[in-house]
Amino acid sequence: MIPLAASSPEAADAANRCAPGLPESFCHQHEVTGCVGGNGLFCFDWAADNFDRYVGPFLRHLEIVAISVVAGFVIALGLALLSHRHRALVPPVLGATGILYTIPSIAFFFLLLPITGFGLATAVIPLSAYTLQIIYRNTIAGLANVPAEAKDAGRGMGMTERQLLWRVELPLATPEVVAGLRIAIVSTVAIATLAFLAGAGGLGQVLYEQLDFKTNIIMVGVLTIGMALVLDLIVVLAQRSVMPWRRAAR
Amino acid sequence: MSGDATNGAAGPAEALPVAFRKATKVYPGADHPAVNELDVEVQAGEICVFVGPSGCGKTTAMRMVNRMVEITEGDILVGGTSVRDRSPSELRREIGYVIQQTGLFPHRTIGDNIATVPRLLGWDGDRIAARVKELMQLISLDHDLADRYPAQLSGGQQQRVGVARALAADPGVMLMDEPFGAVDPINRERLQNEFLRLQAQVRKTILFVTHDIDEAIKMGDRVAILREGGILAQYATPAELLMAPADAFVEDFVGADRALKRLALLRVADIDLWEAPLAYVGQPTAEVRTKLEGAEVPHALLVDSERQPLGWLSEADLRGELVPSRPDISPEPVVDRDDVMRDALSDLLQHETMYAPVVDAQRRIDGVLSVEIISEFLGSKQALAEEQPAVERPTAE
Repeated sequence: MIPLAASSPEAADAANRCAPGLPESFCHQHEVTGCVGGNGLFCFDWAADNFDRYVGPFLRHLEIVAISVVAGFVIALGLALLSHRHRALVPPVLGATGILYTIPSIAFFFLLLPITGFGLATAVIPLSAYTLQIIYRNTIAGLANVPAEAKDAGRGMGMTERQLLWRVELPLATPEVVAGLRIAIVSTVAIATLAFLAGAGGLGQVLYEQLDFKTNIIMVGVLTIGMALVLDLIVVLAQRSVMPWRRAAR
Repeated sequence: MSGDATNGAAGPAEALPVAFRKATKVYPGADHPAVNELDVEVQAGEICVFVGPSGCGKTTAMRMVNRMVEITEGDILVGGTSVRDRSPSELRREIGYVIQQTGLFPHRTIGDNIATVPRLLGWDGDRIAARVKELMQLISLDHDLADRYPAQLSGGQQQRVGVARALAADPGVMLMDEPFGAVDPINRERLQNEFLRLQAQVRKTILFVTHDIDEAIKMGDRVAILREGGILAQYATPAELLMAPADAFVEDFVGADRALKRLALLRVADIDLWEAPLAYVGQPTAEVRTKLEGAEVPHALLVDSERQPLGWLSEADLRGELVPSRPDISPEPVVDRDDVMRDALSDLLQHETMYAPVVDAQRRIDGVLSVEIISEFLGSKQALAEEQPAVERPTAE
């Protein structure tokens, strides 16, 4: 990389040249002097003027996260319910999701590229695979922690196994399931910054395009962290309104 | 009890008899049966208590009735029908079920908890709401609590909700597994009394499991004592158990203090009380002194115009011309005619006194209970020989 901090006109000129591979449009905005030219810590005016360029990638990022987490949640919950009925499935499912979880994301993307091609699917498949282990493990733990006497009372009053699951076990396991969901969301928001390597875009794309411009790095960082916090907050608030009994218990 | 259980798919409102016919349970892999050829007939509307040491199969025996435990051999008839011919979930909806840790659903309000079985039976909303209201009244719980969650209630309240939930669909039979086991002793006694009053109203057939022989004697119309290996040692009324234990095991289990325990079967009203000389405020003390001569109780009891006891007169009180309005000695403990004799004795001992005024429901003096009466009763042959009925239940008002 060519340092942006220009000390001489030649250096400033060099700094104005585009990094190889970057679109021209990103480069000629760099001025020789001032916050941007001097690559200050955070150039507020620049950020305000260029906010538009983050909107698209932000929404794309959100889309990647949403699809990955929803798909992962549905699959993990399905697996958990299946292995709740057939306990023997728990160790193999934990093992399989554990192996998926340990594949480095970049390797995962490149493994998939020949199959699913450059695009959204190649990013979403690994990201949802990573959520499986977290959500599955928490759901299994939540179902196992349902008080035995609540289950005994439910059966003893004539609930069928299905009624027991939907009316007693799942509601009581929800706190653990939601805890898993929250971890899955936050980590997916973070890992999704690499989704651009699979050709899916997102905030990582913008970050990479101007990796040597501090304001850009901070903008992407703030937007990513902000997305994680807001999504987490939404889940927490949703949980509270669905489970008033949790607060009553305190 | 309301009659609304008759207008829908509710369980039978009539109490049903339960008959164990050589009911046997052998758990897979076990050498010995947990319950061995159990033969017990429970009359409709009676409380039958299963009691015994841990590992005697009492809970297993109870849980076979609603097929929470499958019968290995033999049969159990509920209302004359074999439980083996019924689908487990349908059968269970017709049998009330109460367990020790209440098993209330923590994520559901009290009202929703009580409504569990009516919902499973598909009652309509209005009928469920009315039934919940009625049951909360029955267990004397404020209706405002219907919207609370179990964690917001005290242990005793939760236990009452557990009972109400079991009664919701007006079942013919109730199974209660150590229902008061997790409650502290003071509340337990109150809950037991409340439950007996409730039972006088609802008249269910109740199978009650406990490891506490005192509770068994207090709650049971009949008591089945089980020994290890699920063998029935004796099935009898509490009085019979105490007077004629079938063997050394029962005698041992009932305890060396069974004479004392018999006091739990008696109410104060059941024995002949003594009479104390009564004195009224303003009466000449000379009259009282005359009454005192040769009286059964050597102290005069001051009563008001309603004959409600005010206190005992001391020597100093009688030294004056007229009976004073404030006696020296408090009348406590004042014992209710309906109190169980054991509790009355414990009151006497606690107050370190020989005599206690006995009053009726209007708090009017009825007689005097003395430690001597009780010790005479315990020592008398009559006490051991005479057929004593099980403690008479308070009747519904």
